[in-house]
Amino acid sequence: MVTLLAPAGSPEAVLAALDAGADAVYVGLKGWSRGGARGELTWEELGWAQRRVCNDGRELQVALNTIPLPHERSRLFQQIPALLDLGMRSLIVNDIGILAILRGRFPTLRLTASIGCGAQTVADVGFFRDLGASAVVLPGTVGPNEVREITAVQGILVEVMVHMVEEFILLGKCWMPSYVHLKPSPLPTDASAGPVPEGAERGLRQTGSMKRGGVGTCFKICQQPWDLYEGDSWREARRFPSRQVSGVADVAGYVEAGAHVLKLQGRSLPPDQLAPVVRRYREALDGVASGSVPADRPTLPAAWTVVGR
Amino acid sequence: MSVELNTSIANLRDLRASDLQDYDAVYLGDIYCRLYEGNFLERTDELREGLRILRDQGKRAYVASYAAPRNDYLPRVRKTLEVAAREGAEAVEAHNLGILKIAHDEFPGLPVHIGGFANLYTDAGVEVLRGFGAVRFTPNYELSLEEIHDIASTCGVPMELMIHGKMPLGVSDYCFLLDYEEKWGIKCPDLCQKDLFLKQGDWAMKSVGKGIMSGKDVCMLEHLPRLLADGHRHFRIETLSETPEYRRQVAAVYREALERAAEAAFEQDERWWRVVRAHARIGLCNGFYFGKSGMEYAGIRPEAAGSLLTISPSGT
Repeated sequence: MVTLLAPAGSPEAVLAALDAGADAVYVGLKGWSRGGARGELTWEELGWAQRRVCNDGRELQVALNTIPLPHERSRLFQQIPALLDLGMRSLIVNDIGILAILRGRFPTLRLTASIGCGAQTVADVGFFRDLGASAVVLPGTVGPNEVREITAVQGILVEVMVHMVEEFILLGKCWMPSYVHLKPSPLPTDASAGPVPEGAERGLRQTGSMKRGGVGTCFKICQQPWDLYEGDSWREARRFPSRQVSGVADVAGYVEAGAHVLKLQGRSLPPDQLAPVVRRYREALDGVASGSVPADRPTLPAAWTVVGR
Repeated sequence: MSVELNTSIANLRDLRASDLQDYDAVYLGDIYCRLYEGNFLERTDELREGLRILRDQGKRAYVASYAAPRNDYLPRVRKTLEVAAREGAEAVEAHNLGILKIAHDEFPGLPVHIGGFANLYTDAGVEVLRGFGAVRFTPNYELSLEEIHDIASTCGVPMELMIHGKMPLGVSDYCFLLDYEEKWGIKCPDLCQKDLFLKQGDWAMKSVGKGIMSGKDVCMLEHLPRLLADGHRHFRIETLSETPEYRRQVAAVYREALERAAEAAFEQDERWWRVVRAHARIGLCNGFYFGKSGMEYAGIRPEAAGSLLTISPSGT
């Protein structure tokens, strides 16, 4: 049984994902997710979402996938007991150190190594298994044949982000935005988060850092028009290549390869754009389960993608 | 005071053409691309020869590894690690956590240095990597000196800092330059030997095909006393995409500067600045070491200003 894991950036999107057939939904906790403020839920919304998803017999996962500065880290860990009280068990994290600490302190948690951890190989997945991750996310650029090798690693679930934007630079290996702009931004006001530690103002959240941002996205340096020079000579204006990865046609291949979870990108998608994406993958998975492999379909229309997320 | 000044060289041709007298150690191999011209990481015999040349010169020999491998790289990676272990390389550099695991599990006697693409951001990360056998750590380039100092103090581990050169900013599965094979009539692997910059207003980055680097050269010349006072002893001049002349002249500047920085009064030589400025096509920056955007410069040297960015597409 392969799990379809859908994004949601609002309570309305949670409902849309459930209605469209997601087996599980992941959301960001306000202030602590890499996707930025546009796609995060408050504590109140998170509590509602957890009840709603559980009532449907499905699962809610929470992304705590920024990398806090050392003086912020204790604030991140302070969130965990409240999440456990809500009945949440699955967290998505983005730093090996934080993953290791959470593993030690909260053994009941299921911890997923985020796509930002940069895993792409069988050896990478073995590393995260050894570290204590319950699951690891691979980009949808890792094809079914590679996933078949990777799922030979026992003791860890393999998730594939089958629907995502592929930028030129690999996720988790890019600091072009912060090279150009790095803008410290305050943490959101959240009474339940406890007092701001002394010295917190010196670093705060690093907007512009793909790994440490979390309040807004990067500055999309890779989507800017650039002039290409050879030495001092202008050659042409161009952009970095990027593309929408839509893996509907590969669903059967990933299932056959032993992938455990098919994950969709797009916490910033409005519900009316999210629902058809989720539905398309639901149909593909159901088709595989019933033996009717869906025909190769064209890339989803632009409005259904996460471009501009 | 024992200080290590090291650099990186991709192939035997560059190694043979380089005067390494001011370096203590060299990382062999291009971390971005398997097809890079003569890449040590793909050529067993040449890697052996490279290690021999360094040994004969009394240099510490390190072997790099790929920053973003796929499954099909791994047999080659194992072969490279095997050569490194058998031929007495003093360490391998791991930018990738899977390669770190392979080195730890299959070559337990081989010391591992953590590279800048491994995303080391925290002291907790150091502890994880140390558990996999890492002995030296290049923090993620986004960390400030203050953060690096905190990590080093907390964990008591040696850090390696890039003090000069073009800072790695990203790595891709694809080559940015292959589009130009037909347009320019130049084939891989010659394309990425060209001096190619991407510019927009005040921004500039260098393309090395599958890798993107800062357009400006990181320059920590003014700040060497602080680095030494913070306890750092391992320094890299990043020259993977540079000429042997750059490699030699910049190292000579930093060797002399490091010796002076260890003295009570750090007197800078104007000659140093003429050299680093002459080699910095776009200008100088401090990377992220002072908690600012990576292309900013935090010192007082006028040499940090100036660039070709004002050149219009027509060249006027």
